[in-house]
Amino acid sequence: MIEVRDLHFARGSRKIFDGLDLDIHAGRVTAIMGPSGTGKTTLLKLIGGQLRPQHGSIRVDGQDVHRLGRGDLYRLRRRMGMLFQSGALLTDLSVFDNVAFPLREHTRLPERMIRDLVLMKLEAVGLRGARDLMPAELSGGMARRVALARAIALDPMMIMYDEPFTGLDPITMGTIVTLIKRLNDAIRLTSIVVSHDVRETLSIADDVYLIADGKVVERGTPEALAKTASDWANQFLQGLPDGPVPFHYPAADYREDLMNGGRDAR
Amino acid sequence: METTRKIEILVGIFIAAGFAALFMLAMQVSNLSSFQNTAGYQVTAQFDNIGGLKVRSPVTVSGVRVGRVTAIRYDPESFRAEVTMTLDAKHDYLPMDTIASIYTSGLLGEQYVALEPGAEMEVLKDGDRVEFTQSALVLEEMVSRLLNRLTTN
Amino acid sequence: MLDSLARLGRWGLGMFERLGRGHLFLLSMLGGLHVLVMRPRLVIREVYAVGVLSLLIIVVSGGFVGMVLGLQGYNTLVGFGAEQSLGTVVSLSLLRELGPVVTALLFAGRAGSALTAEIGLMKSTEQLSGMEMMAVDPMRRVVAPRFLAGFFSMPLLAIIFSAVGVMGGYFVGVGLLGVDAGAFWSQMQDSVDFNEDVMNGVIKSLVFGFVVTWIALFEGYDATPTSEGVSRATTRTVVHSSLAVLGLDFILTGLMFNKF
Repeated sequence: MIEVRDLHFARGSRKIFDGLDLDIHAGRVTAIMGPSGTGKTTLLKLIGGQLRPQHGSIRVDGQDVHRLGRGDLYRLRRRMGMLFQSGALLTDLSVFDNVAFPLREHTRLPERMIRDLVLMKLEAVGLRGARDLMPAELSGGMARRVALARAIALDPMMIMYDEPFTGLDPITMGTIVTLIKRLNDAIRLTSIVVSHDVRETLSIADDVYLIADGKVVERGTPEALAKTASDWANQFLQGLPDGPVPFHYPAADYREDLMNGGRDAR
Repeated sequence: METTRKIEILVGIFIAAGFAALFMLAMQVSNLSSFQNTAGYQVTAQFDNIGGLKVRSPVTVSGVRVGRVTAIRYDPESFRAEVTMTLDAKHDYLPMDTIASIYTSGLLGEQYVALEPGAEMEVLKDGDRVEFTQSALVLEEMVSRLLNRLTTN
Repeated sequence: MLDSLARLGRWGLGMFERLGRGHLFLLSMLGGLHVLVMRPRLVIREVYAVGVLSLLIIVVSGGFVGMVLGLQGYNTLVGFGAEQSLGTVVSLSLLRELGPVVTALLFAGRAGSALTAEIGLMKSTEQLSGMEMMAVDPMRRVVAPRFLAGFFSMPLLAIIFSAVGVMGGYFVGVGLLGVDAGAFWSQMQDSVDFNEDVMNGVIKSLVFGFVVTWIALFEGYDATPTSEGVSRATTRTVVHSSLAVLGLDFILTGLMFNKF
C-alpha cells in the first residue's frame, strides 16, 4: 500500500531521515514509534506530500507522491485522512460544519444528504449530540474524535494518526484506542499510528516500526518485538530512564562543571 | 443559516453606503452635477494671447457661469490660440456677434472667459466660432508699454 | 568588522528572500482568485469581517478629521478673508489625501492586523495544514477570498470616510462658525473635479487596499507558528503596511497631481 524507499530528509543542516525504508500494508494498523524529535510527524507530512524529501521515494497505492502534479496530488489526498495532534478543527465552524467541510468542498451533494452523512460519521465517534458546539467548547478528547469523524467523512482508504493518545485522560484514551481499532476493522481502513505511547499503541498495532536517528531500528509484530528486543528497543518499550539512550544530554563532566565556579556563566 | 443571512444583509448595506457616498461626492462636492461634457454645445474663439487661461476655466455671461473651457490649442494657420468652450445647452440665446474676452477675477485670481452678448438675431450653435475677441491683459506687456511711452517722451 | 559586514549581508539576503517569497505568495494568491467566481459567498463573509466591522472606526474618524479640518481651515482662511473657500480646502484635502491615506492606515490597524492574526493562528493550530491534507488548498479557500474582500472594501471605506469628513467640515464651518452654506458648497463644486479629484482618490485607495491586504495576508501566512511569532507578524503588518501606504502615497501623488 505505502512503500517508503531510501528516504532522506533534512531541515537545514539537521538530518531527520537518513535512508528510511518502510512498508505499510493495506487493511492493517501500522505503528511507527520512536522517541520525540525523530521526525514521526515529518514522516506523515512527507507521505501526505506536504513536504518534499531530498532523496528517495514514497509510493502510495502505486503512485509516487512527489512526482504527482497538483491535481493528482489533491485527488490522492482526498483518499487519505489525517488526524492531527491538535485536531486542527476549523475554529470558526461548528462541529457539524467541520465534519461537513470536506463533503461540501469536494462533492455537490444536496444539503439533506450531507446532513445524513455527517450525522452518521458523528454517530460513529459518539458525538452526534455535540453537533452544534463550537470547537472552543470541546475537550481535547472530543476535539480529536470530531477530527476523526471529519477525517473519515470522505471514506478514505487510509488514515494517518499523529500522536492520537497524547494528553488524554485514561477513559478518553481508551475510547480513542477502541475507535481506531473499530474503524480499521469495520471499514477495512489502512491505519498508520505515529506515537510514543507504548502500551496503547502496541495493543492495537498489527505491525510496528521503531525509528531512531533517521533509520528503522526494529520492525515486526508486537509479539515478535517483545521477544527479540535489542537493548535500545527494550529501553524504549519498557520505558527505562537510562540505557543506550543516555539520561543526560551530552555535557561537560559534572564535577568539573560545578568546580568551575560559574566562570563561563557569562 | 440565520447568521449568514444577517451577514449578507450587513454587507449589502455596507456596499450601498459606499455607493451612496460616492454619489454624494459626485453630485454635491464635485462639479459633476453642475456641468457635464455631454449636455452642451461647443463654440470656439481665437485669441492673440490667452494669458493664464487653462482647461476647465469658467466661461461666464455677466458674471453668471454658463460653461467651461474644454480645450486649448495653437492654430498654426492663423498663428493664434484657439480656445474651445463647452456651454450649457440651456444658454442657447447668445447672438453671433458676441464678444469673448479673457479677464482675471480679482487682482491675482484665476482667469476666465467673459462673453458679452451682441445685438444680432442669429444665435451661436454647436461648432460656431466667436469672431470678436479680446485677449488677456498680460501685466509685463502693459508695464513695458508704459515704460516705452515714458522713455520716448 | 568582518562580522558586522557578514551580519549586514545576511540581513540583506534575508530581506530579499522574504521579498521573493512575498511575490510568489502574491502570484499563487492571484492564481486562486478564479475559483471565487463560483463561490461568492466566501467573499461576502470576508467583506463582512474586513469591511463592515471597520465601518464604525472609519465613520467616527472621518467625522472628526473633517471637523478638525473645518476648524483649522477656518482659522487660517479667515486671516485672508477667504473663509468662503473652506469647502474647497476641506473637500480637496479629504478627497486627494486624507481620505485614502488615513483610511488605509486605520484599515491596516483594524483589518490588516486581524487578518494577520487570524491566518497566523490558523497556521499555528495546524488548521491550514489540516485543510491541505483534506485536499483543500488554503490559498484558494482561506487566503484568496480575504484578499478580494480587502481589495474591494478599502475604496468603499475611503469614500465613506471622505463623505463623512465633508459633512463634518460642513457641520463645523457652516453650523458652528457661520460660513455661508451656499458659498461653502458652490466654491467646493467649482474647484473639485470628479475625474481629477474623486476618481484619483479612489484609485489611490484601490492601490492601498491591494498592498495592505497583501502584506497582512503574507505576514500571517509566513508567520512563525508560535504565539510569539504571530504577535510579531501582527506588529510587522501594521508597521510595514503603514510605511508602504505613506511611501506609495508620495509616488501616486507625484504621478497624479503633478504633471512632470
